[in-house]
Amino acid sequence: MIDSNRTRRLALLPLLAAVALAAGCAQEQTRYGDARGIETVTNQFGSTDLQMIAESMTRSMLQAPVIISGNLPIVTVQEVRNKTSEYIDTRAITDTIRAELQKGGKVRFAVDQAAMKQQIEEVQRQQGEFFDKEQATEKGKMVGAQYRMEGNITSIVKQVKDVKDVYYKFNLQLWNIRNGLLEWSDEKEIRKTTTKG
Amino acid sequence: MNRTGTIVALLAAALAAGCATKKGFEKPGFAYGCPLGDAKASSMDDLVRLKVVSEGKRTTILATEMRCTMTGDLLRIDANLNNDSSRVKRIAYKFRWIDREGMRAWEEEVWKPLLMYESSNLTINAVSPTNKAVDFRLLLMSQE
Repeated sequence: MIDSNRTRRLALLPLLAAVALAAGCAQEQTRYGDARGIETVTNQFGSTDLQMIAESMTRSMLQAPVIISGNLPIVTVQEVRNKTSEYIDTRAITDTIRAELQKGGKVRFAVDQAAMKQQIEEVQRQQGEFFDKEQATEKGKMVGAQYRMEGNITSIVKQVKDVKDVYYKFNLQLWNIRNGLLEWSDEKEIRKTTTKG
Repeated sequence: MNRTGTIVALLAAALAAGCATKKGFEKPGFAYGCPLGDAKASSMDDLVRLKVVSEGKRTTILATEMRCTMTGDLLRIDANLNNDSSRVKRIAYKFRWIDREGMRAWEEEVWKPLLMYESSNLTINAVSPTNKAVDFRLLLMSQE
């Protein structure tokens, strides 16, 4: 009787070892991926959408007459309104567009509203007693922008039992601040459909 | 005899000049407006072979035509893609930009997903991000 129990226990050992091994394999694994690869984890706004929009808008804007003219127009970035039902950091989109345009060397950017507070604080700080008066930045020397960039992102979401369809439309505009003319505008559309099963 | 020889030589030269100016609108080192670098291309097929690269999983989508032009100092490219199968195909594409020294003129672009209906053509276009980009490759990858 004891022998039979021992035999049964011994027979269980490989099974327990297999379970332990399987549990070990199920441990989460972290690997680096391609930051510019296509991300389809969910159909919410993702990195591929952000990168595609920024790339498309930048390349289109580079063909705008005010930029082709080569006069290095000065642009300020205003808000991209998020009119979708989900949270989207629109600042991340405009930051990427700004970085790409700046790198291309055809546009200059003036300080925008979001960075104005820091800019003024730094100018005021340099007016303080600890700075060399001759080298300190004077007040009233900042350059104003000639153009302002603003836009919207909207979405239409439709869902039935096993299908969810999301349509995004990103619109960007470049306005002439002096005369109020729209100098350039373009759109990028994205459609993503998720089906279950 | 000398005169005959001269006439033959002149005829040959005229013929050669005629052939050379067949595509008189094309700048040397360019085909269909697209830069060739040191390579030679005498047909659209040659140009497509030079410019299209497959990465990752191979796709059956084929680039059939490619034309380039300059917009200001930037290179603009139109490439026609063809899906001759009877199924919808999903691919991704991106352009790689090359400078005068043959090095990367810009960072890697994002892979752009594309859906192609059965038996269809689609024209994709791109503009170089910088005037340092004087050449390019079109990269295709299957998303099936």
